[in-house]
Amino acid sequence: MRLLGDTDIDFMKYRKFWISISLVLIAVFFFAVFFIHFNLGIDFAGGTQLTLRFRDKPQVDQLRSLLAAAGLGDAEIQRFDKETANQIIVKTAVTKGSEEGSRERVVGALNRHFNQGQAGKLDLNTAGADDMVQLLGGTVSPALAAPAAAGPAASPQAAIADALIKERRKEGLFRDWDAVARTPGLDKAALETLRDRAFLGEYAVLGVENVGPQIGKELRRQGFWAVTLSLIGMLIYIGLRFELRFGIGAVMASIHDVLVTLGLFIVMRFEFNLTTIAAFLTLIGYSTNDTVVIFDRVRENMRKNRRKPLIEVMNESINQTLSRTIMTGGLTMLTVAALLALGGDVLRGFAFVMTVGIIVGTYSSVYVASPFALLWEQMFGTRSRIRGESGNQPAGARSGAGAAAGRSVPAGGSGKTAAASPRPQAKPAGAEPASGSTPRPPRAAAGRRRSGRR
Amino acid sequence: MKRNLLWRGLLILASVLAAIGAAYPPQQKINLGLDLRGGMHLVLQVHTEDALRAETDGDMARLVQQVKEDSQGKLEIKSQRTGDTRFTVSGLTPDAKITVLDAAKRALSRFNHGEQSDSITFDMLPGDVSKLRDQSVNQAVQTIRNRIDAYGVAEPVIQAAGGERIVVQLPGVDDFERVRKLIKNTAFLEFRITVYPKDGAHPVSREEILQHFGGKVPDDVEVLPAQRGERDAGAPGPLFYAVERRRTVTGRDLRNARPELGNMNQPIVGFSLTPDGAKSFSTLTGEHVGSGLAIVLDGQIVSAPRINSRISDSGIIEGSFTQKEVEDLSTVLRSGALPASITYLQEITVGPSLGRDSINEGLRAGLVGSALVVLVMLLYYRLSGVNAITALVLNVLLLFGGMGLFHSTLTLPGIAGVILTIGMAVDANVLVFERIREELRAGLTVRKAIDNGFERAFTSIIDTHMTTLISAMFLFQFGTGPIKGFAVTLVIGLLASLYTSVFVSRWIFDLVLSRRKVATLSI
Repeated sequence: MRLLGDTDIDFMKYRKFWISISLVLIAVFFFAVFFIHFNLGIDFAGGTQLTLRFRDKPQVDQLRSLLAAAGLGDAEIQRFDKETANQIIVKTAVTKGSEEGSRERVVGALNRHFNQGQAGKLDLNTAGADDMVQLLGGTVSPALAAPAAAGPAASPQAAIADALIKERRKEGLFRDWDAVARTPGLDKAALETLRDRAFLGEYAVLGVENVGPQIGKELRRQGFWAVTLSLIGMLIYIGLRFELRFGIGAVMASIHDVLVTLGLFIVMRFEFNLTTIAAFLTLIGYSTNDTVVIFDRVRENMRKNRRKPLIEVMNESINQTLSRTIMTGGLTMLTVAALLALGGDVLRGFAFVMTVGIIVGTYSSVYVASPFALLWEQMFGTRSRIRGESGNQPAGARSGAGAAAGRSVPAGGSGKTAAASPRPQAKPAGAEPASGSTPRPPRAAAGRRRSGRR
Repeated sequence: MKRNLLWRGLLILASVLAAIGAAYPPQQKINLGLDLRGGMHLVLQVHTEDALRAETDGDMARLVQQVKEDSQGKLEIKSQRTGDTRFTVSGLTPDAKITVLDAAKRALSRFNHGEQSDSITFDMLPGDVSKLRDQSVNQAVQTIRNRIDAYGVAEPVIQAAGGERIVVQLPGVDDFERVRKLIKNTAFLEFRITVYPKDGAHPVSREEILQHFGGKVPDDVEVLPAQRGERDAGAPGPLFYAVERRRTVTGRDLRNARPELGNMNQPIVGFSLTPDGAKSFSTLTGEHVGSGLAIVLDGQIVSAPRINSRISDSGIIEGSFTQKEVEDLSTVLRSGALPASITYLQEITVGPSLGRDSINEGLRAGLVGSALVVLVMLLYYRLSGVNAITALVLNVLLLFGGMGLFHSTLTLPGIAGVILTIGMAVDANVLVFERIREELRAGLTVRKAIDNGFERAFTSIIDTHMTTLISAMFLFQFGTGPIKGFAVTLVIGLLASLYTSVFVSRWIFDLVLSRRKVATLSI
């Protein structure tokens, strides 16, 4: 099966249109950064985040006023995961002058409301094994006179407590007493004791994340260095492997991908955290490698036919690698899209970056990387830097005019008139052996487009 | 050719067996990160200045005692700590100065001194300061380890993390609240003499204390918050005691502690002191009969009983404790009190049910994603797709083998890394296959097309892997736990994909071609 036949699309012809689309998307990024702002995760912003699961459907408004009454009016409250999970995330900002966050205040406020009137009873939804054993009449206390290394499950009570905790893990909390009764090994008497002396708290804290200002600062710094250094690393690698103009094209494409994806990311209000940084770095690697494949082909085709102008070589190379570009991007996207749809809320931001990034990255290797390489060529280019060129090819009819035209542009192009012939090369031809002087129309046209700059 | 094929086949077989050996059984060989299995990750800061102050106070008290002995009780010097590691003796006559300096030679070994007109300032030597800091961090690590061991957690990680930090990782804990208290609450025990109310009868409001001192609390007095007892139930607002700043006996002087029952059958903690501690404690209590003895735990006064007579080597701690609190308090006091107080700089607590949800969701996403990839590869490349899928299966196998081999940890972002690896691993196959198709279209024979396809795609494959590897390396360098897990899976996955897509996939083609003459390739 073939998706595409031998295509011969003049990609570069439409580059201005597509570049303007890119510019619009980049404008979205700047708009987002300045007017919407990042939704910074706990790890960067610092603060406290609690994941709570309730027995009954939680009312966000009610929770909000509860916390506001406890002086936590700035707390962010949002539903998390599936509707039926009754799960809520509470995020509070860094408490000034405190490293330890507001976990206790949040839990305190919730307990005052939800679990009032249960004083003296044990909350089965938060209790640890030892408390349960004690409640069931087991003997823990004297054992502590000897170091508490006796080991678990020494008594029948301990066995029941272990079973209860295992059962509780299934849902995160006991929704009702029927759920408690389903615990294997729990006899009637023990259940009665529990019903009598314990209660089922309205909610359970499933997870807490607290990042004090100190650690938050460090994580921000680490994130910054990870991004900066891998960009530099990527630059060095590309610099070693490719000529300058291709390097510029690849880097521009990466920057483009990051800006566009980040813009949409902010607009969608995803949380920006360490995992997101990981996603963006992976994206940079991925989008670069997409570009690299096209440029590898460009390089190969340039060696085959050094007389061909870059713009044609590019079109040819993009067409040749098109089905490859679509296949690789598409296949990787299938996996990350599955992650986006099914991977759960924690990885959603990551999956979003990768999914959008791969689409944008695939597009940008055609419409950002190549035009930039072309632009660079037109502005500063010489074709003498093509590797492996040794001048052993005769100067044919389609001689190196294009190169001459390209080289001539920085010297001023051809002025405002539409003259088809550019000036003679401003720089010495150097090692370029076959630098003819007959301009070839497409190149000259390309040169002319840049002309009015002076 | 045949022989060559055999050797390559054996190598591949060996790598598969090695991978299976390293990853099987996965429950044992692949570590799950805290975010998947549930547990606590804590970064603690040890306030080593607490320990420094305590040491300085102790040395200062020793000097005062020495001076008193040297002068047969005639000279009572006034001394005060003026920094974490500095104290000043003031109001000295020239004669007294000589006596003090003389006493300092014998009593203080690790202090420099500077003389002013009527006072002497003592500073701890920098070498001793940093030694004490290190000591207190190490001691804190040891102490926390003892406590965690007593509580019973499988495979805990407790280590100093440079500076004043300690990292604690406790997988699979269920009672977070208790562990949190066990590690921290315990922290710093000290005994102080109450100044107001003098007999320690009951705590009072801050205003009352200020009023007593006429608006300004003296330098050698500190106001500390008090725990509410049953008697204080009626009093509004937070309650305080004014206590002496000086602390002579701390948790370090404790030899043992155990839960006991008090007169009213209420839970209390009984303790005994080391010989040195007993000596200081006896001096302290002997001098302050009739005053309150504030028992300060983590900067909060749990009780302040009146000192009825000199106490030497044992006593009790009373407060409004529950049975469990008394047990935990004894445990932590017994396992060695912390040399300094502790702050949680970072806490990540993941309940086991959250982690399990994450695993299930990740697994489902991975399976669906892989199924889609397999489907597309088969539809698009037909029999060659089978080749790619074989390579992919091998790739995943090697990935887990590598993780088992390096004892790396699978985290939630790591699962994303595995899924991403599956997507990117087939990319290399696509590069080769597309190239082979091109070569076939150019009219080359199957054999030649395959040779060229692999050869020409190779540079691109290397380039594409390198760029992603660079990112992954920096992520590993700068990332925290879960992100490191992602970087590791990505790196291992990419290396494995390089091997499978170039070496293994090529071998499969060669194997098929060696069997019979192939005129057309299903690609």
